[in-house]
Amino acid sequence: MHTHHHHHLDHDTPRELEGVLKVGIGGPVGSGKTALIEALVPILIGRGHSVGVITNDIYTMEDADHVKRTLDGVLDPARIVGVETGSCPHTAVRDDPTMNLAAGTEMLRRFGDIDTLLYESGGDNLTLTFSPVLADVYVFVLDTGEGDKMPRKRGPGITDSDLLVINKIDIAPYVRADLEVMTRDARRVRDGRPVILTDSLEGTGVAEVADFIASRRPVWSPSA
Amino acid sequence: MTLLAQLQLTDSAFPGGLYTLSHGLEAYTQAGPVDVGALLEDVLLHAAGPGDATALVLIHRAVTAGDWDAVVETDRRLHAIKLNREIRAAATRTGNQVLRTATLVFATPELARLTELVETGTTPGNHAVVLGAAYAGLGVPVDDAVIGDLYAFAASWVSAAVRLGRLDFRRAQATLYGAGGAIGLAAAHALAARGPLDLHAATPVADAMSAVHERAEARLFTT
Repeated sequence: MHTHHHHHLDHDTPRELEGVLKVGIGGPVGSGKTALIEALVPILIGRGHSVGVITNDIYTMEDADHVKRTLDGVLDPARIVGVETGSCPHTAVRDDPTMNLAAGTEMLRRFGDIDTLLYESGGDNLTLTFSPVLADVYVFVLDTGEGDKMPRKRGPGITDSDLLVINKIDIAPYVRADLEVMTRDARRVRDGRPVILTDSLEGTGVAEVADFIASRRPVWSPSA
Repeated sequence: MTLLAQLQLTDSAFPGGLYTLSHGLEAYTQAGPVDVGALLEDVLLHAAGPGDATALVLIHRAVTAGDWDAVVETDRRLHAIKLNREIRAAATRTGNQVLRTATLVFATPELARLTELVETGTTPGNHAVVLGAAYAGLGVPVDDAVIGDLYAFAASWVSAAVRLGRLDFRRAQATLYGAGGAIGLAAAHALAARGPLDLHAATPVADAMSAVHERAEARLFTT
């Protein structure tokens, strides 16, 4: 039984996006959102899902292009699109997510088999949240390089996201970040919501992220 | 209530993705120095006035008269005079999204009818067309509607100029207020339109800039 608080079947969701699990991935610039997506997509495809990726690049198509190169042969490049936001990323995923909804709708019209849509936000700050109309599940990505005090700093991204990922655990010793402190603080401020440690480049912890996403896939989804 | 509804629709906070557009300004700034205020006046008089504003007026009249064939004809012609892919895509994306939200918020039969026509692919649902239908259904007088919409366009333009670092926040407001004369002229031009054949745009430099922008290596805005 899924106890998620968002309303999946309300009239706010465009018809084309009904039945599609929309996963929002946010977090500071350089924390590893793109790397997580690149590691996650092959796992989701391997589990029989059909995936689309929408990136919100702040200034270039760098992220969209990187994902296309990395997933060459794994995911059709036409299933990866970039949206220019003209502004701070939180506007495009929270205050007025209409252009992201439009991009998702257009992609589903083209590829009706997609059951999982990953929305990568442009890098933002700790206050980032996704509109519940845009994302059913909200994953926030921090990394150890930002310093082990980050989880303590809170902010809605850290405290309210459905899943907090702490990435780049491999470099923790080099940036003097104490993983135990980060994990303990994160669990303390998140009221029991899950925290997963990853090294997206090596794939550590990414299967657990896929498991978490699967646990949020509602019963009406055709591939649930 | 009519005034309040109009204020709500012209407010930049009404979700429709307008903040993703620079209306061509980004391409000009990438090409070199630009007089933002003078360019805004040019765009109002030669693009927005005879294009989107004229369409808004024609749609307002057609919807008020219940002539949905004229609505479709005007929408299609407006789409046809937008020469660049990114401009057409932006006009229908923002239009379709405003339509969805406005239909939910204002729940007028006119917006419901337009939604039907857009969803069946009968008409593209350009931004100006959606607003024309919304204002007509809400009883906003056509001259107020067109002035208000041109103001919203100019406000969106100067907001883009601030984000592109071409105007500071105070100069932006002075530029917006200074565009009042051009907004009035563009509105008068639009209100004088007799039919869809009066919709036109002859902006070769802007079209070339937009074509360059479509392939720009780095950009903040969709248009």
